[in-house]
Amino acid sequence: MINYHPTDKQLQQFAEGNISSALALVVSAHCDVCSQCQEKVDDINAKLSSVIENIHAHEDKDPAFEKMLASIMQMPIVDTKPVVAPRIELDGRFFDVPRPLQRFVKHTGNWSHLLGKVWQAPVDLGDAGIANFIYMEKGGRVPEHTHRGTELTLVVDGEFSDGLADYDSGDFIVMDNEHIHSPHSNASEGCLVFSIVDKPLHFTSGIARLLNPFSHLFFK
Amino acid sequence: MLVGISLENKLQNTGKPKDCADEMSQLLLEVASQRCKRSYAKIFGYFAPRLRSYALKQMGNEALAMEMVQDTMTNVWQKAHLFNAEKGSPSTWIFTIARNIRFDMLRKLKNRKEDICSDDLWPILCEQTPDQNEVSLDEQVTLEQVGQLFNNLPDKQRAVIEAIYIDGKSQQEVADELAIPLGTVKSRTRLALQRLKDMLEAND
Ligand SMILES: [Zn+2]
Repeated sequence: MINYHPTDKQLQQFAEGNISSALALVVSAHCDVCSQCQEKVDDINAKLSSVIENIHAHEDKDPAFEKMLASIMQMPIVDTKPVVAPRIELDGRFFDVPRPLQRFVKHTGNWSHLLGKVWQAPVDLGDAGIANFIYMEKGGRVPEHTHRGTELTLVVDGEFSDGLADYDSGDFIVMDNEHIHSPHSNASEGCLVFSIVDKPLHFTSGIARLLNPFSHLFFK
Repeated sequence: MLVGISLENKLQNTGKPKDCADEMSQLLLEVASQRCKRSYAKIFGYFAPRLRSYALKQMGNEALAMEMVQDTMTNVWQKAHLFNAEKGSPSTWIFTIARNIRFDMLRKLKNRKEDICSDDLWPILCEQTPDQNEVSLDEQVTLEQVGQLFNNLPDKQRAVIEAIYIDGKSQQEVADELAIPLGTVKSRTRLALQRLKDMLEAND
């Protein structure tokens, strides 16, 4: 079950729109699968919108508004069509992806085999951050590392542990330079996560330290 | 035809939020179903000046504020059919549209080349995907067929199958109850049914 949620402050910033795109994306993906947090966000939205209702607006006629109104009503109605949700495929297995991440499934490059039983598919978010879908097969492990910046993770499907805690589908995880961890999955179905980092990882132990000069290539 | 429509800022019930919400909901419905310009002019008359004050505070610039009002109110006109009164009040819906417009405007102003837009983050202006009722028929297995095999499922898969096939709950209800994502319920259901099928075939 979902145990790790965004903080109330992060939900507030998300509802206000005063938040970085990367954090917003992972919070949004979490809320899509966590009805508890979605309800909180709905409540915050309702509170924020009451501010607009309580504004005492001028009642004078304004020519700028008359013009705006006329030009808007000349615009055609837009028909929106629902799209079929794309799913992620890896080795013949299909994964459902939270709605906010679905558009990026198309942008997901081919899966590449990283280390051992860990797979990675990069997602191009432009300047917003360096994002990947990462899949750990049963027994797969990402070498122990800390973070030069912030690492945001949403568990899309499955379970993993990292020496700090155990995580399940839907969990929302923020890691920074105060955390050292080594994500690994012992679940029979493995674990698919979505992660965004703003700076390359810093590997901390054993032979994996040799990866550091190249860490911008792995897990970027 | 349009020229004669004046801004009707005064509504009968401006004082009481609930009455105002009901009236605005009704007006939005008329815009959605009949493209009613009179109704839209009333909505515009109420929200445009308020949005301008709000946007002016947020953007600190009259031109940007008016751009934000125009984009927001254009969406209200073009996508009124996406408003759902069960999900929230008209002012909440319009506020969230304005918040999205502002989010994209600020990123554009900062010249950030980010491939994330407000529609990804707050998909309020997207049609909900109809749920293609989950598990297809050929994946379904009756419980009589399954018998003992049922107990061989991993605990988590069995819990989901029990809730859906014995208690008759929907996948969404199971997701909410177990506090797990809907996608996880779906994949557990698929995996469990597949496993049961495999076991059945092995038993034949
Ligand atoms: Zn949550």
